[in-house]
Amino acid sequence: MYQYSEQDHQLLLERVAQFRGQVERRLKGELSEDEFKHQRLRNGLYLQLHAYMLRVAIPYGLLSSEQMRTLAHIARKYDKGYGHFSTRQNIQYNWPKLEDVPDILDDLAKVEMHAIQTSGNCIRNTTSDPLAGVARDEIEDPRPYCELIRQWSTFHPEFNFLPRKFKIAVSGATHDRAAVAVHDIGLRLVQGENGDTGFEVFVGGGLGRTPMIGKVIRPFLPKQDMLTYLEAILRVYNQLGRRDNLYKARIKILVHETGEEKFRELVEAEWEKIKASGLYIRDEDLAWIKGFFNDPDYEDLPDRDGEFENLLLSNTTFARWVDKNIELHKQPGYRIVYLSLKTAHQPPGDVTADQMDAIADLADKYSLGQIRTTHRQNLVLSDVKLKDLPALWEELVALDLATPNYNHVTDIISCPGLDYCALATARSIPISQAITARFDDYDFVNDLGDVSINISGCINACGHHHVANIGILGVNKKGTEVYQLTLGGSAREDAAIGKIIGPAFEADEIVDAIGKVLSVYLENREDPEETFLMTYRRIGQPSFKERLYG
Amino acid sequence: MDNYIKDRKADSDEWMPFTGLEDGDSLPSGDIYVPLEEWLKARETLLARNGRLGVSLRNTDDPALIQNDLERLDLIVLEFPKMADGRAFSQARLLRERYGFEGEIRATGDVLYDQLFYMQRCGINGFELRGDQGVANSLKAFDEMTVTYQPASDEELPIWRRQV
Amino acid sequence: MALQVYTASLLKEGLVAYLSLENGLPSWTPDIRQATAGTDAELDALKLAAEQSEQENLIVAPYAIEVLETETGYVASTKREQIRANGPTISLPQDTARVSRKAA
Repeated sequence: MYQYSEQDHQLLLERVAQFRGQVERRLKGELSEDEFKHQRLRNGLYLQLHAYMLRVAIPYGLLSSEQMRTLAHIARKYDKGYGHFSTRQNIQYNWPKLEDVPDILDDLAKVEMHAIQTSGNCIRNTTSDPLAGVARDEIEDPRPYCELIRQWSTFHPEFNFLPRKFKIAVSGATHDRAAVAVHDIGLRLVQGENGDTGFEVFVGGGLGRTPMIGKVIRPFLPKQDMLTYLEAILRVYNQLGRRDNLYKARIKILVHETGEEKFRELVEAEWEKIKASGLYIRDEDLAWIKGFFNDPDYEDLPDRDGEFENLLLSNTTFARWVDKNIELHKQPGYRIVYLSLKTAHQPPGDVTADQMDAIADLADKYSLGQIRTTHRQNLVLSDVKLKDLPALWEELVALDLATPNYNHVTDIISCPGLDYCALATARSIPISQAITARFDDYDFVNDLGDVSINISGCINACGHHHVANIGILGVNKKGTEVYQLTLGGSAREDAAIGKIIGPAFEADEIVDAIGKVLSVYLENREDPEETFLMTYRRIGQPSFKERLYG
Repeated sequence: MDNYIKDRKADSDEWMPFTGLEDGDSLPSGDIYVPLEEWLKARETLLARNGRLGVSLRNTDDPALIQNDLERLDLIVLEFPKMADGRAFSQARLLRERYGFEGEIRATGDVLYDQLFYMQRCGINGFELRGDQGVANSLKAFDEMTVTYQPASDEELPIWRRQV
Repeated sequence: MALQVYTASLLKEGLVAYLSLENGLPSWTPDIRQATAGTDAELDALKLAAEQSEQENLIVAPYAIEVLETETGYVASTKREQIRANGPTISLPQDTARVSRKAA
């Protein structure tokens, strides 16, 4: 993991002091709310429905156990004892006081964390594959590139007041676990013709009220050119992106209105002029940054274990957990473990301070002291020895973090919705809890297989409903919360925007509606290997429509 | 004293904005700056005058339009119509870094304490502060941050290439 | 005209507050039932007091909401404002998490 230099530390201290000054000026009335808002948002501080909300950056979803303990400490000392992991791999606190935020930032800075650019119309925290560095299908580890992007984008003086927010995701594997196609810029590491790696560059993806899949504006960009190319895209966007209409200000609209071809020409022309600049990534730069992400000293272990196999045969609950929440690791004798934050007891993505501390301890004990966050609002222990799985499982069960549902029907993405959010038009957490409660039966979950349900509480789509196999959008219709269904979305390498199936459902009808959608799938699939999405793509909307509205 | 900072010092503003070039005889003496359209229309007339010249760009103007004129200009005025509008940051960098302008690049409009650091990094060295921003206090803004990661007009290399 | 109260967020805490105006003296309370409700001219006085508090940097972004008078006091008329007045409709994580941390 990246280790801060003296200068990195210095920058955080200066930033905290600067924000402390901004808060003081605001409290004294020297800064108006309008002007302070720009500053607090650039430090991840929103004013939400009930209170301030602080979003803390977790660069590309990677946390040390020490950092996790600090997150727990902050939840306890300054908040109500819990935090919420977001779809952009960050963590949000729902109840901090403005006066306390500089102190929170001080505590974060001690463990190399911050809230810089977690909101505002600037380049946000770069997200990535939660399995970076350990996945079997990896072409190259994306984290060194993410870290270069983090440094390049932090307080970038030219791009701090963009037309709108700007999100970049990087994936290094064949399977897309970072949803690159629905980001302002998505970078996918690919092998070039000469065997060298480079990036497939997607621009103009995004959700919100105008969901779009990103366009490939360059099928292969040599990796050395990554930053100069990003700078060229951002410069074109900063100059030409629309500023007359908030809802048309994202880069996706610029790409759409300019036309893909013309947009590409503009970027390439700008890039020609800066490709040899200081941002060109030399081999020694790459070697330096890659040095922070070297493989740990894995032990030479057999890929079988007697105790593990015995438990697998004797304990159904353990076997289910292994089947659902364990992934193969590139290193024999190791496994990747998903910690499910999706139970019927807690809002999706929420973790208590005690759980955070316990997870930090587990990471130290079993997984080289690191934790990853995922865009589906779960956590990952990436380097667990196969032989440790039984012991880890027992501890996770005790913590309520072992629900066997990863990428299954109860692994629901949900935005905070009207229970917390000032923009929301409907609640989403209660709906996710009702769906989870209804379908919380292992055999059913298992039979359904790979399927995603995402819920957003308003058109801004923070719950990524557009890219769920089954998406739910809450809206306010004449004072009542109603829920619209979209089907057929995907956030993976086969990215697609779901289509609205028909009129919305009332809150007390939506769970039944989901049940009907699922039964249409079960009745129509050709075999258990055919996933929900495959069936939907084969049979289309008619059968679903018929069952829901017929 | 004007509410004006030049090269990180309080300064008095010698420049006069000027529009309305209908008759060249009435051109004032002294240092004046004109909008881009007038510069493009009456370049020769303006150059015949004694006194320094500047051009003001709207933040939708392409700085490339004056790239060949920069040697004859001493001031480029950029606009920040509101704090959130960051187009002029790109214009400033292009003028400084791509077209090599060495005169004053001046920020006007919503020129606020919390913007100065970024403006400076993009090559802006003249600041017409908004009325409510005090000069003495604003000078502190330049030193709030001392660590910079990326290249800009003040620094050719990213932080990782500056290290030995 | 419907009965209305003024609400805002407290600047320092960020918490939801309602304006109470007694004998011309404004104060901000977290309890909607303690708010001063009004129509027409009374509402104008509330608006003035709210704007005054905003200028004094006590609160942020005041606005008026409709309320209904019930036996237990004022209740906000929209779902959103009801949730603002009463907090999230779900139980907060600390209340429900079944954490039984093992002794280290």
